[in-house]
Amino acid sequence: MSGFGGVLPWARRTVVEQERWLSSEEFNAMLGICQIVPGPNIVNLAVCIGSRFAGVPGALASVLGLMLGPSVIVILLGMLYEHYSYLPAVQGMLRGISAVGVGLIAGTGLKMMRNEFSFPPMLLVVAITIIAAGYFQLNLGWVVLIASPLAIFLGWKKAKQI
Amino acid sequence: MSALISLFLKLSAFSAIAFGGINALLPALYDLSVNQEHWLNTQTFADFFAIAQAAPGPNLMTVTLIGWHVGGIIGAVVASIAICWPSSIMVYFLQGYLNKLRNQIAKQTIQFAASALAVGLVLGSAWDISQQINHSLAAFALTLLAIAVVILTRWHPLYLIVMGGALGLLGFIYIHTLDLFRRRYAIDKKDCLSAWYELCSFLNCFCPSGLSE
Repeated sequence: MSGFGGVLPWARRTVVEQERWLSSEEFNAMLGICQIVPGPNIVNLAVCIGSRFAGVPGALASVLGLMLGPSVIVILLGMLYEHYSYLPAVQGMLRGISAVGVGLIAGTGLKMMRNEFSFPPMLLVVAITIIAAGYFQLNLGWVVLIASPLAIFLGWKKAKQI
Repeated sequence: MSALISLFLKLSAFSAIAFGGINALLPALYDLSVNQEHWLNTQTFADFFAIAQAAPGPNLMTVTLIGWHVGGIIGAVVASIAICWPSSIMVYFLQGYLNKLRNQIAKQTIQFAASALAVGLVLGSAWDISQQINHSLAAFALTLLAIAVVILTRWHPLYLIVMGGALGLLGFIYIHTLDLFRRRYAIDKKDCLSAWYELCSFLNCFCPSGLSE
């Protein structure tokens, strides 16, 4: 369990594509719950996945596993940064990596969207959320408030249909 | 010591109100750590953010780095725990509640609704971030390439990150990290209406209010 490390694209890859701990639908639903609760999504996700398989110890183990390695790496990078931040090469490298990072997040989002095609009206909720969060850059508390009534209504329809 | 206690209390309070994860929290975090507490300056904050984005790991590593800056290794541990615990406890009980829920329709309704919201929020935040950090065609092309690779192949993301780093190292990519904060912060401080006006004037200018380093 504690090998679970990294951001969303890595998490989905590990949990769904490689280890098959969860199906794609389960993963989306779990992530959805983690995103409507405040706090760091990926930590919430680790708590959900960990506690589902091994209760409180599982949750603690997966949060520790999630945090420990990256924390060490990021602090080492922070130390390096303090010495070399003036170099244009270092700045350029950070930029290239950020651009790829955004692409990884978007690609994972698009993969997750495939599931929503099983009930096309739900795509409307996806579109509203994207526009509110991406275009208007509303605070995400507002985005959830605006989109959730329709999401719950369509979720209810979808649940009855199945 | 008092700095560590204040770090813990302030970040714990943040965790409980941070709807939509760390990206939504960043402007408030900036306000606290730069303007109120003077833990670090604007430039360092922006660079810490870039490092957290670049490093393999959750983007809450920005918080870990700020903690490290304030109080060394102990500061980093305190900050990381503070940002995690309130929401972790909340989601733990919510998950337990949903698993016990007998009514299948209600349970599925919540899950389907949450799932659609999650897809929208992930894509929306990717769009938001890409608008702000990709200030050159090369950066956008790189982002699109990364999207295509993620969808069409099962490559390990590390290859892409190494490639992005190499291209950036050779000087192909330009991103103004500071811009991201200036704009996010300005918009979040106001209500929706003035955010809308800001957006209009932004579109009228047709270029980001340039911070030319």
